[in-house]
Amino acid sequence: MHLRFSHIVMRDPWFVIGCGLAIVFAAATFLGPPLAPFDPWDMSFTPISPASARHPLGINDAGQDILSELLFAVRNTVGFGLVSGMMALAIGVLIGVSAGWFGGVTDMILMRVADVLLAIPAIMVLILTAALFRPSPWSLAMILALLIWPSVSKGVRAQTLSIRQSLHVKAAAQIGGGKWYIIRRHLIPELYPLYLIGFAAKARMAMFMEASLAFLGLFDPTRKSLGMMISYALRYYYMDIWWNWLLPPILCLSLLIMTVTFLAISVEKVLDPRLREILGEETA
Amino acid sequence: MSLAIEKLSVVYLDGGHAVQALEEVSLSLVPGQCSALVGESGSGKTTLGMACLGLLPASASIQGSMAFHGRHLYPFDEKAFNEVRWKKIAMVFQNGAANLNPVHPIIDQVAEPLIQHLQLGRKQAKEKAAETLVRLGLDSAHHSHYPHQLSGGQSQRVLLAMATILNPEVLILDEPTSALDAMNKGIVTGLIREAKSAGKSVLLITHDLEFAVKNADTMAVIYLGQIMEVLPGADLLVQPFHPYTLALGRSYPTITTARDLGGIRGDAFYRMVHQHVRSNGKTYSHTHIQVPETSHKNGHAPPTGCLFHNRCTQAIERCMHEEVALEKVGNHEVRCIRHGIADLLELRGVSKQYDQTAALQSTDLTLRYGEAFCLVGETGSGKTTLAMVAAGALQSDEGSRLFEGMDIRKGDRRSLARRIGVIYQNPAESVSHRFSVLEIVEEPLKIHESALSKGQMKEQVRRVLAEVHLSTDDAFLARYPHELNMGAIQRVCMARALILEPSLLVADEPTSSLDPSVQAKVMKLLLDLQIERGLTLLFVTHDIGLARKIGDRLGVMLGGGLVEVGPASQILTCPSHPYTRLLLVSVGGSFQEDLPVRTSLGAEAPRGCPFLTRCRRAQDVCRRAKPQLLDRDHRRVACHFPLGSPSQ
Repeated sequence: MHLRFSHIVMRDPWFVIGCGLAIVFAAATFLGPPLAPFDPWDMSFTPISPASARHPLGINDAGQDILSELLFAVRNTVGFGLVSGMMALAIGVLIGVSAGWFGGVTDMILMRVADVLLAIPAIMVLILTAALFRPSPWSLAMILALLIWPSVSKGVRAQTLSIRQSLHVKAAAQIGGGKWYIIRRHLIPELYPLYLIGFAAKARMAMFMEASLAFLGLFDPTRKSLGMMISYALRYYYMDIWWNWLLPPILCLSLLIMTVTFLAISVEKVLDPRLREILGEETA
Repeated sequence: MSLAIEKLSVVYLDGGHAVQALEEVSLSLVPGQCSALVGESGSGKTTLGMACLGLLPASASIQGSMAFHGRHLYPFDEKAFNEVRWKKIAMVFQNGAANLNPVHPIIDQVAEPLIQHLQLGRKQAKEKAAETLVRLGLDSAHHSHYPHQLSGGQSQRVLLAMATILNPEVLILDEPTSALDAMNKGIVTGLIREAKSAGKSVLLITHDLEFAVKNADTMAVIYLGQIMEVLPGADLLVQPFHPYTLALGRSYPTITTARDLGGIRGDAFYRMVHQHVRSNGKTYSHTHIQVPETSHKNGHAPPTGCLFHNRCTQAIERCMHEEVALEKVGNHEVRCIRHGIADLLELRGVSKQYDQTAALQSTDLTLRYGEAFCLVGETGSGKTTLAMVAAGALQSDEGSRLFEGMDIRKGDRRSLARRIGVIYQNPAESVSHRFSVLEIVEEPLKIHESALSKGQMKEQVRRVLAEVHLSTDDAFLARYPHELNMGAIQRVCMARALILEPSLLVADEPTSSLDPSVQAKVMKLLLDLQIERGLTLLFVTHDIGLARKIGDRLGVMLGGGLVEVGPASQILTCPSHPYTRLLLVSVGGSFQEDLPVRTSLGAEAPRGCPFLTRCRRAQDVCRRAKPQLLDRDHRRVACHFPLGSPSQ
């Protein structure tokens, strides 16, 4: 999009750290199965063994290789977060822009729906749905997205209202730019920071939610998940397993959330030319 | 009617081609009146003067007729001319001293007509000549001087003496003031007045517009041999009907017009007449008008159409093809297919309400082609609202908006939008900070000319950036607004407003965020563009000093309505509305208020005059009724008790 994108972004520590972590997690997500030394469902090893050369993170209580388990768990958590975050963002932007731009009855109806959803605690709905209907993780991700879009759309709507009044939008309308032209050229780009913030917040929330549900044992027990790993590790906490069994999933979950946040901050700086200037001055 | 010229055409023949100097000029000189003939050099003014004396060279082919008291001089009658020349019709030639014989003392030269025509004795003639010279302000010490010993002004007086000494009925003055300073011009004025009161006719040929306005009763504006407009003398600078007259007036530095000299865009055509010999020996000719840049052989401009169309600010397709005749418009006669300067934009009774405050109250505004209209007034008077309604950036609650006579509500808003460019008060906010310079300037093209390729668009962006004196290289095109200084952003915004080649440019305080030196640059640029592109400019400012420099006409706003509209020079030198005067007093300058004015901003009367609470002249009627805009001289004023008439 911009000529100096790579040049500027590479000098930003947020981006460098975020990117480094993202590469690691992307590798784990996409290359997890081939990278894993063993089949994570293979229970043929000695249960609760400490780390060894063959098993860098040891073996869990069911006789499964923890490293292989971790790689599959990261894959599931990241997938859940991305799907849910993107869905929530898409719904939120669509509804926020419609409400803000068209106003009137559209605005009123959409925002009342958003208010109702904001009042419903997503975790309760999710726990009940998971417990009662046992849906697939993908269905749960979508249900979560349907519950958490309102905060995105509220922000988008407010910004839309303010941009709609700004001089450059009025100027474009005076020149003769149509409704769709202005939405496409002036409004959508102006909302970039909100997308990133919205996506980062929702993806974080979704990943955490996935871990929580798994921790509570609401997913299929054979599905690998960071939350479930933590849950099982905690049962054997009295044994000396915390660094090889408990710490890795906790660390992975924390770093995942940090990665999303760091990337959102740095990309926002790049996409906003004014912030980029400040960034350029700082690093110069 | 002493001298009546009827459809006089003069063609100077020169080998194969010929130049049309005059085309069907009709002019009548009335006893006791002064007619002025004004126009650019080469418009045929002097040719007409020479024709009146029958002094055109043999190479001139003359058609049409001229009669002196009913006696025909043209078709050319040598005998008739000999009878009237100098005795009845005399002329002061152009170029002062060059017309005097360098080897005779001036007194002899002045006396010569008396000896020649009246057969007076030498002594008697010299006495009369001396008397005439003294009357014209040349004392006897100079009388025996030779022409080279005289100053330009003195030679001019000698020529005047020579022309008037036989007491002719028709006096033709060809550029009598070109060598004279203001003091000496007064003597010529006196002479003209004297001649007029003696019942003589004066034909004043001049490019000195102020002098013409001062002396002439009627005026003919001539362009390339055609009379473009015939108008009362006083209207020339304040109420021209023809675009050429407006442009001519704008080019002339009078003492009261403060506006920077405008000039007329482009160059005049050459008028060539081609002679063809038919087989039967008769010749016929036809006229070509030719664009200056193209040489004669390379092609001809269309042989018909208005001669001024290439420089005109309101030319339409028809102007290029259709022949136009002089027609009566009001008390003027105008040669224009559009019946004189047309209205580009007209707002009728527009109102705009913001919550509780009425920003505009049933206001009318008319913008004419090619003029620069300044809106002035204090903050909150509705200037910006009016300008934005005019630009179409804001919808009015009531009233109609006509562009080129067409109601905008009925028309296609999109296609009208491209005819109007807007420069906003805050340049940095009027463009998206996510757009690069290229994207900013290109945006109007993307909306209206989406068929153009990327390269073509970039080419156009470069062209228009060059026009506003900005860099056109790729590095500049890729820059973002926050990387530019205010002056540069404002010029980028100007480029953006101009890229679709609009007819109307609305500029809302375009320089308020600029420092004086950058402001000067931007304003100069804006005015140059206005002249060169023939734009109509609606300029909003609270800076009266700036308005003086820009406006042909001025509108003063107060409380959401116009209180005074008229020629800028008149309003600024002699305001009619007390509010205008207060504005001028507040600025300082030459206006000194003898009594303190109340400047308190009281609650405004709901029905009465919006200036009521601050006006010293307010009376009961001002409280009861809101004054309407009424015609007064050449302007319109909304006041029950306007300040003294402009002549006072």
